[in-house]
Amino acid sequence: MALSTNPLMPSYSRPPSRVAILRAADYGVDLARLLDEGLREFNPPVRGKTVLLKPNFVGLDPLGIINTHPAVVAAARESFLRLGAARVVIGEGSALVRDTEAIVEAIKLRDFIGPLQSAFIDLNTDEVRPVKLRTRASSLKELHLPKSVLGADFIVSLPKMKTHHWAGVTLSLKNMFGIVPGSCYGWPKNILHWAGITQCILDLNSTVPSDFAIVDGIIGMEGDGPTQGNAKPCGALVLGDDPVAVDATCARIMGLAPERIDYLAKAAVMLGHLKEEKIAQIGEPISSVRTPFELIASFRHLRAS
Amino acid sequence: MSFLEEVCKPFLEDSQNADGGWGYHAHEESRVEPTCWSLLALAGLPNAFPHASIRTRACDWLLQNQLPDGSWPSAPGLTKSAWVTPLACLALREQGTATDSVSRGMLWLGDAWPGEGGWWWRLRTRLFGKDSTVRQNLSLRGWSWTKGTSSWVEPTSFALLALRHVPRTVKLTTLEPRRKLAEAMLLDRMCPGGGWNCGNPMVYGAAGQPLVGPTVWALLALGEESARPEVKQSLDWLELEYGHNKGPGSLSLAHLCLENFGRRPRELEPEIVTLYAANQFLGQVPVMAWAAIALSPARDWYRASVKDSG
Repeated sequence: MALSTNPLMPSYSRPPSRVAILRAADYGVDLARLLDEGLREFNPPVRGKTVLLKPNFVGLDPLGIINTHPAVVAAARESFLRLGAARVVIGEGSALVRDTEAIVEAIKLRDFIGPLQSAFIDLNTDEVRPVKLRTRASSLKELHLPKSVLGADFIVSLPKMKTHHWAGVTLSLKNMFGIVPGSCYGWPKNILHWAGITQCILDLNSTVPSDFAIVDGIIGMEGDGPTQGNAKPCGALVLGDDPVAVDATCARIMGLAPERIDYLAKAAVMLGHLKEEKIAQIGEPISSVRTPFELIASFRHLRAS
Repeated sequence: MSFLEEVCKPFLEDSQNADGGWGYHAHEESRVEPTCWSLLALAGLPNAFPHASIRTRACDWLLQNQLPDGSWPSAPGLTKSAWVTPLACLALREQGTATDSVSRGMLWLGDAWPGEGGWWWRLRTRLFGKDSTVRQNLSLRGWSWTKGTSSWVEPTSFALLALRHVPRTVKLTTLEPRRKLAEAMLLDRMCPGGGWNCGNPMVYGAAGQPLVGPTVWALLALGEESARPEVKQSLDWLELEYGHNKGPGSLSLAHLCLENFGRRPRELEPEIVTLYAANQFLGQVPVMAWAAIALSPARDWYRASVKDSG
């Protein structure tokens, strides 16, 4: 069940979180084996379950730097199937490009995962049902959300490590904007911008939290992200079962101070851990993959001093 | 047999729901947008509607789902009006029925202003200054996707297309100024070099990348302005893009638009057959409808030269 029923837990009463950093020089390495090893550390409860992978497919991406790389998506799918998941589907509702098939064909997703009809769901045009938002950070109160998301047993946010010209960074929490269907709210999902990006990130993630996050930081994007920035090789996959902790770790890898990122700082109150001392790092240390990302002028204050 | 006869027509006919509408995928819950595209597509086919009940049931479904304020919702249960309203007006108008219902939809369109330019927006602008991250002229207003949000290219284009077919019962005095403002908005939002994206031609000084869908709808909406250099420039961009895009929806829309403006795009059917073999259009009803519209004899609903007579 995708809708959260767990009580919102203040940070001070949460047990520490764990985040794994896995080194991957490029997309040609055996990513499935790497993820197998990483996921084994967390033992995610997916046996017999339907897993929804939510990548970030946001543009036609001629240079291969905007979207979550299909090799990472395919590896995650394979790894969750090996862990016993009954079904692993990939679902995305692109915010800017309505022609989802053009995007997935441009990135050759079919070459990585086989026939798309059975494996891929366009969340923009999925059936919807109304969902009361669990928190009131924004004024929205209710959103119509895709049945494929609401019916999934286990949601994995699978973003690209990118800077973002409205939000500072876009990682696993911001990636959940993609579950909001364009067929109801348009391309872009402007209702979320009017209601406040930070506020909507909080409301969405408190209502439909991702159970796990895997961030594609093998090649990220810096500067004018999420679509007009430059490629930034970082050589890392970052994963864990606390999306706030995963995003905070990514921010540190990107040379940013997570507590200065508005939505992350607010998410840390109830949705997960931000502080370094509350996050047990496994795999590679942050210092071994730290790669400062360029920011547009309006977000340079996010840089870790 | 052609792809149109062999695939499009049976798919669209078979995927109509018992309630008369179409979902985004065959036999999913009926929604306004796929119902409108299916109706427009089937109406354009040779021997359209061998079973009259297909059309009747579809129109009835649309009429039943009109909201009290005259608009249509984008999904069942949404009580706030939305961007699909001009599509419903177009689809019903094309069937030559429900003039009263279309009139109410048009009147709603005339009153549906986007969020920018309202009193709260003006107050904020006065207090905090203009938003310098985008280049566009925010006083030029079109239509939004959802109530109270910003103007965007596609909903504005759909509204302009619908306004070409205003029933005589609707007073044009309220709609004409909006039409002019919306056309100016579209021209202002064109990407540098031609074409449109969703409606941000320039953000933080970087030129936006045009996309096929918004470009097609904007061009069709501006059809009466076809002599303008912006239209020619955007058609040139679309012509270059045609064939590179691997989305059947984009390809179909680009084809019908280029043909509409007298350009001669490469033949559509072979490419559509190949793309259908790859992913079956991901089962998307609107994509199948767009392919059908592009492959069938041209229809009037998107043509600039056609004026309402009813």
